[in-house]
Amino acid sequence: MLQLHVWGPAFSLPSIDAQCLATIAYCALALPAGSWELVASSDPSVSPTNELPSLRNGSVWVSRFRNIVDYLRQYSDGAWNLDVELGGQELADSVAFTSFVESRGQPLVDLSLYVTSQNYYSDTSPAYGSLLQWPNQWILPPKLHSAAKARTIQLGLSSLDLKAMEDARQREHSAAVAAGQIPKNLIQRPRETVSGLLGRTAQQNQFRLEALTAEFFEPLEAMLGRKAYLLAPDEEDRPTSLDCIALGYLSLALVPELSFPWLRDAMRTKAPRLAAYTERMRGRCFGSTATSIENAFAPSTSASPLPWRAPERISAAAVGTTLLNTLADSTPFLREVRQHNRLKRVAESPDAGFSEQESKAISQHAEASKMDMYVSIATVVGGLAALVGYVVHTGLISWESEEAEEEESAGTEELSFQASDFLGI
Amino acid sequence: MPPKGSEASPPPDNPRSFFTVPTPIKQLFDKFPLTTYPTNALPQHSLSQATGNQLFVFTDAAGARRGRPSFNPQCLKWQAYLKFVGIDFKTTPSNNHASPTGALPFLIPSTPEDTLVPIPSHKLQKWAIEQVHCEEEQQLNLRFEAYASLLDQRIRSAWLYMLYLDPANFEAVARRLYVDPATTSSAVRTALGVQLQRAARDELLRTSRYIDAGDLEVDAGSAFGALSTLLGEDEHFFGRPKPGLFDASVFAYTHLILDEGMGWKHNRLAQLLREHDNLVQHRARVLQFF
Repeated sequence: MLQLHVWGPAFSLPSIDAQCLATIAYCALALPAGSWELVASSDPSVSPTNELPSLRNGSVWVSRFRNIVDYLRQYSDGAWNLDVELGGQELADSVAFTSFVESRGQPLVDLSLYVTSQNYYSDTSPAYGSLLQWPNQWILPPKLHSAAKARTIQLGLSSLDLKAMEDARQREHSAAVAAGQIPKNLIQRPRETVSGLLGRTAQQNQFRLEALTAEFFEPLEAMLGRKAYLLAPDEEDRPTSLDCIALGYLSLALVPELSFPWLRDAMRTKAPRLAAYTERMRGRCFGSTATSIENAFAPSTSASPLPWRAPERISAAAVGTTLLNTLADSTPFLREVRQHNRLKRVAESPDAGFSEQESKAISQHAEASKMDMYVSIATVVGGLAALVGYVVHTGLISWESEEAEEEESAGTEELSFQASDFLGI
Repeated sequence: MPPKGSEASPPPDNPRSFFTVPTPIKQLFDKFPLTTYPTNALPQHSLSQATGNQLFVFTDAAGARRGRPSFNPQCLKWQAYLKFVGIDFKTTPSNNHASPTGALPFLIPSTPEDTLVPIPSHKLQKWAIEQVHCEEEQQLNLRFEAYASLLDQRIRSAWLYMLYLDPANFEAVARRLYVDPATTSSAVRTALGVQLQRAARDELLRTSRYIDAGDLEVDAGSAFGALSTLLGEDEHFFGRPKPGLFDASVFAYTHLILDEGMGWKHNRLAQLLREHDNLVQHRARVLQFF
């Protein structure tokens, strides 16, 4: 029995992540019923590569959409392959448009679900709260939020993130007060409501968002044309792996009911046929009814077209490991060591699918990266040592006087005097 | 705490007051600035001898004199594109720190003469269209953007891995081309090298949780396959009579991957690329422009 581990359901879709949605769609279309089950484990640490979606077959784990598609084809000797009827030109189109959808769709989904702050705080964050188990619901959403912000930072649309802007404004405001530049009661308190702020930034962002959404939707709309599927060969009525990938990203753009639905509005006006196609594909792959959390966590009580299986309850050991990992990941130097170690472990484990030479190359790389970090630590330490050495050398600090001061301050009278001084009496 | 009195007259009977600067630190800061250097002269020479359009790219002095291809894919793409549309220009060696946008290439046009407004790379195509009235090729074919994403994502990721993260290649190629010309100080070279590698790693980790060299190569291989199918038996991409922007983008990577002068130690991308004869021939055809 194949087990597909994914991020759990949200927004009435079977998963909150586009790659997971694409993989679920592929399995639903390609695999015979009863040969696979779907587990909303929502915890990347279940798979050795720390990524979801991840397909488990006994002791073998395969992660990432394309690797899973390849694995399924090999595992079934070519039977479970949606792209089997494609010709050379269509295969090339499939590769190119897959790359196009992933590279253009991901930033838009990130902007819509994570960076746009009213959507994140009123929709995405609560959705994660209900699909994650304790303690991951406190740990993972901020990580995913900052990863999405980092992925979209080069688009110059961070002003969609009203919360961060508001925080920055507050900091500047209190900094001005603390610096005493302006008397407190003279500082003009900007009485801006969130909607006012939104109205202004929305106008500024409008042009940029128009361009971004048009760049994404219009080529796909043109590619779809009057066909039933993106690459439908002749009269055949069969979706391909490209349709699965497109469904993953387009359904996250179209289906969620968000507070600020700019992405859905853009899709409906710019690409009406694409929106209809997405609804059709969604019905075919995920069933006509909306997927809810109960489908995933209590599959016996509720009917669903997808073969859900309840995820295992999180064990005490797993909670401990998660907490420990989180602590280590938020410690500056340790975090870097761990990142490189992760790369190395993946390369060295024999079932990860690397040839011996590749493993060697990657291990070498990990060693080199570790060296980088030691060099940077050594640079900082060396710099500090040089500064201290210089200061001592030129006699700006003499040790004798320091000791004398310390002796002085050891007196109890001195201490009590300092304390009263500190309190401002 | 009365704010007025404390600043006007520091209490002399209490030298360890909360607000006075400790003596050693005050003495330390009294020494600064240690030396004040005279201001640098403005870099007049590069502008005064400008006779035509100047394209600032990553290249060396000998390569710039003979107009050889740049060793940076972004620069080479625009260098090739300007040659294809028939705009005369001279290349000038430069680096990121000299660019107004922080990225190369940029171009200083010869006209209008009095205003020296640099044109960054993302506006070069618009400028070229205004100059010679060539067509905007993205509009002509709906596949342009999709196939361009193969170059911008998959081949670029594999390129970043091969150039910066493969230790042997980094020492032999990236250090020689990007780090060593920048400075003669070995400490700065070490720091620059570390920075370059970290930037490449961060870029690759932005889209995935870990860097899988095998996956990057498989993706690049399928991307070359798709590009080869797109080119087919044609002379140039999209069946155009003369090369254009897409040919320039493809050539920028295929030339550098196949160029013997780069001195690659491990070149898995070249093995993948040589499986597609038409791409290799396309590179040879385009190379004749240089």
